[in-house]
Amino acid sequence: MFRHFSAAAAAAAFTLSACAPGAPDAPDAGEINLFTARHYASDAAVYAAFTEETGIRVNVLEAPADQLIERMRAEGARSQADVVITVDAGRLWRADQAGLFQPAPELAETLEAVPANLRHPDGHWFGFASRVRVVVFARDRVNAGEINDFLDVADERWRGRLCVRSSNNVYNQSLLAGLIDAVGAEQAESWAAGVAANIARAPQGGDTDQIRAVAAGECDIAIVNHYYLARLQRASDSADRAVADAVDMVFPSLAGRGAPFNVSGAGLAANAPNRDNALAFLTFLLSETGQRQFAELTNEFPVVAGVTYENDVLDGYPEITPDPVNVNVLGENATAAQRIFDRVGWP
Amino acid sequence: MAVSPLMRQAYPVWPALIAAIACAAPLVAVAALAVSGEWSGYLTHLWSTRLPVYLINTLHVTLISGSLAVLLGAGLAWLVARYEFTGRSVFEWLLALPLAVPAYAAAYGWFDLTQAAGPLGMLPTVRGATGAGLVLGLTLYPYVYLLAREAFSGQSSDAYEAARTLGARPRDAFLRAALPMARPAIAAGLALVVMETLADFGAVSHLGAPTLTVGLIRAWAGEGATADAARLALILVAIAFLIFALERAQRARARQTSASGRRRPSRRIVLSAPRALAAAALCLSPVLLGMVIPLGRLAYRALSAPVTRDLVSAAQNAVLLATIAGVLAALIGLAAAYALRTGTRRGAVAARIAGLGYAVPGAVAAMGVLAILGLMQTWIDTAWNGMFGSVFPVMLTGGVAALIFAYLSRFAAAAIGPADSALSRVTPALDGAARTLGASANETARRVHWPLITQGALLAALLVFVEVLKELPATMILRPFNFDTLAVIAHNYASDERLGEAALPALLIAAVALPPMIWIARRIVRSEGVRAEDVHAEAGH
Repeated sequence: MFRHFSAAAAAAAFTLSACAPGAPDAPDAGEINLFTARHYASDAAVYAAFTEETGIRVNVLEAPADQLIERMRAEGARSQADVVITVDAGRLWRADQAGLFQPAPELAETLEAVPANLRHPDGHWFGFASRVRVVVFARDRVNAGEINDFLDVADERWRGRLCVRSSNNVYNQSLLAGLIDAVGAEQAESWAAGVAANIARAPQGGDTDQIRAVAAGECDIAIVNHYYLARLQRASDSADRAVADAVDMVFPSLAGRGAPFNVSGAGLAANAPNRDNALAFLTFLLSETGQRQFAELTNEFPVVAGVTYENDVLDGYPEITPDPVNVNVLGENATAAQRIFDRVGWP
Repeated sequence: MAVSPLMRQAYPVWPALIAAIACAAPLVAVAALAVSGEWSGYLTHLWSTRLPVYLINTLHVTLISGSLAVLLGAGLAWLVARYEFTGRSVFEWLLALPLAVPAYAAAYGWFDLTQAAGPLGMLPTVRGATGAGLVLGLTLYPYVYLLAREAFSGQSSDAYEAARTLGARPRDAFLRAALPMARPAIAAGLALVVMETLADFGAVSHLGAPTLTVGLIRAWAGEGATADAARLALILVAIAFLIFALERAQRARARQTSASGRRRPSRRIVLSAPRALAAAALCLSPVLLGMVIPLGRLAYRALSAPVTRDLVSAAQNAVLLATIAGVLAALIGLAAAYALRTGTRRGAVAARIAGLGYAVPGAVAAMGVLAILGLMQTWIDTAWNGMFGSVFPVMLTGGVAALIFAYLSRFAAAAIGPADSALSRVTPALDGAARTLGASANETARRVHWPLITQGALLAALLVFVEVLKELPATMILRPFNFDTLAVIAHNYASDERLGEAALPALLIAAVALPPMIWIARRIVRSEGVRAEDVHAEAGH
């Protein structure tokens, strides 16, 4: 019986696959090929809005940024990628270093709307939405006033009370890269050593898991990106909201310079076969519609000032002073940061 | 096997040679990357900082998953082969099923259950090297089980009974007569378990047990150091080769002691009621722990999560890729088997090389495939441009073909074993008879071999089918636009920390993999009376 079943399944697979692909019927305004390291299901809504507005189809390849970069390198001049999107400025810097981007002078005017520190100095790439690294704490065990700066997190007072994910993670890497710029490599290294010493449990899971651990009492504070808490606060699952209710969040400054922002950013691929469409897409990311969607769907901050959106959680935040440094340094210092992590034994 | 000169000429070695080159190419490319890249001093830095931890973790995880797999796989195989108790005939194939569960899916489920705020928060959290070892052991032990089950069912019963007759207590008879004879089968299963453990990224990274594979991804991701990642990969490959060599030595040693081939069904000892209950509970526990509980948790999570992606087309894509790869792998398996059959040195070397790919972690194989395809594209483009003055119309990367190439280079080895053993059932005498009666080589293959080897070929195809369904890293980096598989979707949601949404695709992988797994398990259980060598070879070369 099982033999017949497998044979039937195999036959079915071939039949189905024959009609599986095929482009949707749309007025043919061409297409763009998107290499993206974002893996938010809601991004599909952004692409759909773009297609509706322009008629341009969006072909998507989602993979971790490093793999996308590796593939573009291997494909060289034959690469089909038009636009590259990552969720970290450091990766954009690296892609740029590998010569995978081309300048887009046509966008110069549009990019004026993006704060100068959230884009490449020569416009090779730009942030279209921003996120900030924050500290989440247990309401019942910690006072909001106890942490004003990320430097405080390395204090002995937090020994065995801190949850943070592995240093494999790029968000931690960029946080330390920013600190290296702020206080120099030596002091950044002793900070990292202090933080590593404070870690309550061997890191596992992602940022959300660190928040859950704070709520569950495994640790008292956690370093995470702001939108993971925002997502829990806006969740439909009551258990998730209970987790969010047990904790609160502060926006510590990075060595007194301001809150450490990072970007979701995009660049025009060096060999983009559909250059004009790609420019239209990049422009769309900064449009009113595009910007609003990032705030509403993924709880990121729009980069264009004055964009209106509906998101109670974001609206409830206090005034945040961002670190004015150009996020380009996150890439420049990434290797140094990783080696510091290795030396201090931040798992 | 003595081979007549007739047969030596009859079967061509070149299909196996081509397959071997294709299968070994990515590994060669990785070695080339490692050697040609810049020496940035990263390895020195790593040696003084993190490399020892990677090595210790790798050892720790592998020891636990390996010993758990042997304990469960061989122990339970003995139990169902030698004793009669309620439900035995069901457990016999049920025990193989956790192999359908991707290790990363089991890791998601267990971690979610046992973390501090989870429903099983009172238990120690499944995490770290120990947790990862347990999860991997529980999902991979069926490799050992399937092979040991076959070995115990016939081959060693004579020796065991002889030992008992001579007055040995059951335990001693097991340890000193039955176990040594099943050792090659167990070693072959263990080699597969260890290989998969070494190559695993999903489970160990989720549970916070940085092994060498995590380290090489970190080198790649954190520093963009492709060459250094390739060098770390070579360490992994070296370990894998060492294990293969040990396994081969085991097999070679055991061959001298193996039985004459005469087999009879063993009489099972009927267990008393309380013991039978204990036996059933023993058999049930790995199935619960490796499959039912973690998948149950995922199913619960899936209930409360919206379905936002097109899982139907992702499932179709996954099945399509797995089917094509399965069929082609079976063909490569047969080609290699025929090459081995010629008895020529060239044939044997070709078959061995084709089997090397299994030792390469998926991420590394993908890197190699990318490098090779990129290089080939440049050559072809240049040549084409020289001849026709235009761009070569076909992109080698980013198509289904590239994916299949990567899968085959990695999994073809899993297909060579079953094909080889199936073909070895066709004795040279049969060939001789057919040829004497005037049949051509092709006719002999079609009318004599084919009916005898279809099962083995199908088995080879199904093993590869299941592997490809679960495969992640190569699929991730090589797939075309707008082309997701279940494993890719599950991973994307999980890395976005949305376990609920990741649960359904992970469950679907298991659901699609289950029917072939059941088929494999039942086929092996039914195969009592077939030569034991057959299933040993399913371990691949």
